[in-house]
Amino acid sequence: MLFHLVKKDFILAKKYLLFMLIFAVIGPIFIYSKLGFDNGSFTSFLITVLFTEYILFNMVSMQEDKYRGSALLCTTPHTRNGVIKAKYLFILVIFIGCFLLFNLAVAIGFSTGLARLNIYSIGIALLIISVFFGILIPIQTKFGYEKTKYIFFILFLTPFILPTIIEWYQSMNFNINFQLPLPQTVMVWVPFVISIFIILISMIISIQIFSKKNL
Amino acid sequence: MTAVLDVKNLKKELDTFSLDKVDFLLKEGCITGFIGINGSGKTTTIKTILGLYPKNEGSIKFFGKEIEKNEYIVKNRIGVVLDEGYFYEEMTLKEMKSIIAPAYTNWDESVFLKYINRFNLKLNQKIATLSKGMRMKFAITLALSHHADLLIMDEPTSGLDPLIRNELMEILLDFMEEDGKSVFFSTHITSDLDKIADMLILIDKGRIIFNESKDELLDRHALVKGDNSLINEHTRRLFLSLRQTAVGFEGITDKLDVVREQMNDCLIERPSIENIMLAYVKEG
Repeated sequence: MLFHLVKKDFILAKKYLLFMLIFAVIGPIFIYSKLGFDNGSFTSFLITVLFTEYILFNMVSMQEDKYRGSALLCTTPHTRNGVIKAKYLFILVIFIGCFLLFNLAVAIGFSTGLARLNIYSIGIALLIISVFFGILIPIQTKFGYEKTKYIFFILFLTPFILPTIIEWYQSMNFNINFQLPLPQTVMVWVPFVISIFIILISMIISIQIFSKKNL
Repeated sequence: MTAVLDVKNLKKELDTFSLDKVDFLLKEGCITGFIGINGSGKTTTIKTILGLYPKNEGSIKFFGKEIEKNEYIVKNRIGVVLDEGYFYEEMTLKEMKSIIAPAYTNWDESVFLKYINRFNLKLNQKIATLSKGMRMKFAITLALSHHADLLIMDEPTSGLDPLIRNELMEILLDFMEEDGKSVFFSTHITSDLDKIADMLILIDKGRIIFNESKDELLDRHALVKGDNSLINEHTRRLFLSLRQTAVGFEGITDKLDVVREQMNDCLIERPSIENIMLAYVKEG
């Protein structure tokens, strides 16, 4: 049943879907070509994912707010919990889609220097997405789309501000390393574990908030 | 008869309105009209029993089961038509159906297509382009395509022309032909209920005023007309509502025997549901 609620989100975002699919392939190549620092592949992937997630999620939220379709869904066996879980699954599906399309972008833009990401980098990207949407979804569930749309407009600006922040960070030569007593093969999966933890906590909070809402 | 819905001591507080200890019971095999003027609490009650508004207090049992603990089972057995539709208007009918249908274990595609054809709906049409009448027909199609045992409708006839309203009444009567089916139908257009309702529940200012069979209610009340000379301090008290003009009086009473005894030369008629509803609402 959850699958059909995620499908609903993709139908609601269908106007932008083709554009975002193209962007998920061309975006990383274009952004990489404009970045002049190390780790450009990771940065271009992260910017592409953040931007794609924001545009599609925003489109869905806008229509949910306008048509209040979740009220109808909650009269069916879909239930309130399902409606919230589907939001997180939607974010995760987009992330996986962007990752697969990024590999296509690497194949196309290999000559530019765009390279595949290792597991650790993918985990870090997922962690950053989890933090953003782990905060956004409960806040939006609580206060509604209209009141929160401007706060999260910052995500829309990521393609313009993130390269500058990363460049500044690298130029400062900060060296923050957390050494956990874990083997390297396990360490690379730590960001994934933290991401899942953040998503679960955020989901529980959102479900709690949504269960008290008048639809 | 078995109770399909049993609401006890239901309380819901909103910013400017509240439901106060709402109690009622729906019997199986009945069409129950839920009547009241605009703003009386009909939509709030329906949304609260469906869980769209979390209740503050009380118990809501569908088919003997608490809805909170058996949401999936209960919602599989009810069909719902909401006043505003709550459809994603950018979707086509086919897309909307593809979201709703998988939620039900008993979804019957042949029933769905039967209603789509009966109502001349086009599956590739966008919901935003449907008229209010067509939108209501689509909502009913979705609500009836999973063999629901209880159909809950919130103001389905509001804003519709008499022809479509009549068609809806026929659909409800068709639905009731099968054993074990029940309908709970809120409206402020009480003439729709004259033909089809078995039971009537009146709500006003968030409180249930009466819950009884339509025939008993109509038998128990009378519309009395006569000369103003018949109205005095004592006879005035026999009426739930009384309107006096220069040519005479008109009132609704639930003390028919006393009126017959004490007021000669008056005209006694069978009231309409609307007459009775307005009498109680004015009194409140």
